[in-house]
Amino acid sequence: MTARPGGRPLVPAYLATGGTARHPRLRLERLSLLLRSDKPVPDGLTPAQLALLDELADGTLTVVEAAALLRLPVSAIRVLAAELVDRDLLVTRAPIPPAERFAPDLLKRVADGLRALKH
Amino acid sequence: MIELPDLVAGGLAAGTLSALALGGGLLHTRRRLARQQAESTALRARLDESLRVFTAEVEHLAARRLPAAARALAHPHLTVPGPLHPQTAGSPLGHALEGVLQGLRVELAAQQVRVDAAAQAGMRGATREIQAALYRLQDALRGLQQRYDDPELAQTLFELDHENEQSLRRAQVAAVVCGAWVGLAREESHLVDAVTGGQSRLAGYRRVTVHNHLRPGTALVSHAVEPVAIITAELLDNALRHSAPDTEVLVSLEHVHHGVCVTVDDAGVGMTPDERERAQRLVAGRDPILLTDLGDPPRMGLAAIGQLTRQFDLTVDVSSPSPYGGVRAVLRVAEHLLSRIDPAERPPAASAPRSTRENAPEAPARAVPGDIAAPTPDETAAATPAGDPAAPRETPASGPAVALPGRPAATPPGAPSVTPPGRPAAGHHTTLPGGPASAPAHAYGTEPPGPAAGTVPAHDDDRRDTGGLPRRRRRTPMAAAEQAVPAPRGVAPQRPERAAAALGALQSGTAAARAGSTPETAEPTNDTENEGETAR
Repeated sequence: MTARPGGRPLVPAYLATGGTARHPRLRLERLSLLLRSDKPVPDGLTPAQLALLDELADGTLTVVEAAALLRLPVSAIRVLAAELVDRDLLVTRAPIPPAERFAPDLLKRVADGLRALKH
Repeated sequence: MIELPDLVAGGLAAGTLSALALGGGLLHTRRRLARQQAESTALRARLDESLRVFTAEVEHLAARRLPAAARALAHPHLTVPGPLHPQTAGSPLGHALEGVLQGLRVELAAQQVRVDAAAQAGMRGATREIQAALYRLQDALRGLQQRYDDPELAQTLFELDHENEQSLRRAQVAAVVCGAWVGLAREESHLVDAVTGGQSRLAGYRRVTVHNHLRPGTALVSHAVEPVAIITAELLDNALRHSAPDTEVLVSLEHVHHGVCVTVDDAGVGMTPDERERAQRLVAGRDPILLTDLGDPPRMGLAAIGQLTRQFDLTVDVSSPSPYGGVRAVLRVAEHLLSRIDPAERPPAASAPRSTRENAPEAPARAVPGDIAAPTPDETAAATPAGDPAAPRETPASGPAVALPGRPAATPPGAPSVTPPGRPAAGHHTTLPGGPASAPAHAYGTEPPGPAAGTVPAHDDDRRDTGGLPRRRRRTPMAAAEQAVPAPRGVAPQRPERAAAALGALQSGTAAARAGSTPETAEPTNDTENEGETAR
């Protein structure tokens, strides 16, 4: 996502969450998947929450993707999403864990074994 | 001998006569001298008296009247005492003394303006530096916000950003009062962004509720963006400051005949007629501003509004009380300061309140000159099924996959020429078995499979018009990408009858020729044949 044309945004990020960046319970990862639940949208959501729900109406997004689309910092999306999860409007999934690196020891032993076979 | 006595007698007589004459003259002279002496004594006494009066009058002028006249310049309610003796008032001396006072007043006023100008210049220089530094700080803070997302750190960054916004507002207002430029060039922006931006600069921004009744896309021309944000911030600051901390401050954005009005209502204590009159005079911006008039600590908000209204042809009215009991302040932005941004191309900030008009058909007669009329047919068409709010509530239940055909339909209405072929195409397309349009846009494979294809078009329309769910039009790049995806596949639906005929012929042909083959093998063959056929 490129920076917003025209530079300095008029509306600062803290306005999206009312100034909070912490959620008491839920801690979402950057790559947690956000998925819209099937609960209808109630009244009384903040504009930013509605905007997030709108982005998710078209499918699943990760936290960082939603942040980029809404031009908000990840920390703000985390709070917004956590609030919506509290209201059962969103479902989150843990991020797909990255593949673990092979242990160098194991690789070395395999290489040794292969060399032993060759000889 | 006789002649001598005669001569003597004659001489004597003459002497006597002359002595008498001389004595009389002498007497007369002496008497006149005495009279003149008395006269001159009286005159001297009178002179002394009038000199005393004059001195006293000048002393009175120096001791009482001049300081009072000087003070009266700053405090107009002070009365300047008259001359010591009331009869001096009409005399030449009185006029002369009045001239002294007048000269003093003129010179003092000029001096005050000079001193004030110097003070303003000094302050302008200082605030400009501070403002620039605070903008740099803001950049740094926002960069950090983007980079670090640890909740504790992010919380601190949000707080710092907010503090910074408030300092920035103070510096900016001081600079504006001192006649400086607003200090920041912005590009054309949504009006609601400017108002929300102004709101965010205040400590009590959570108490502010903005109701946006503007047509989506109502924007400000670039040079009016920052002034509107500053004025809104100052009006809101006044409202927040003069109302109880548990009350709300309401802002509503509405179209009026000659532009747009930003109305700020507070439920506070209100203003007395005197205060209201003073405030109205300040915000009208007709009189030049002197720092010395602003009090200590200086109340700069209204003065800054006055400067901006004068410079940018905006109108602010604070003369009417609010129906909530406090003050109603109305900022009117004239038509020539308004412009339009396609909200699909550049949506307003995520935290800016949604327009309540987003689903309403637009009134073309009141449209902003230019392209606002273009979306009208599209929007009204989209809004027609909105009369049934029950059905849309159910649609999200069918899973996000069904939402996808809706995306081309939600194309920005700025390109209406593209939409008509695109939309029916999507409808026909999804009715085909295994319609490829159900490919997810965010392909994580988490979406449940879509329901029966026949229901898709209905869902598509319903979803877009879900009563409570405000719609947000897609940005152009995404919309373009979406259109690009179905485009090659959309070749078939462009000639659905031909495709169907070809398929039917093929099916009957293969059924006749390969009666023994299973449907599983026949199905893919058909598909590939179909693709080949339609691609031709």
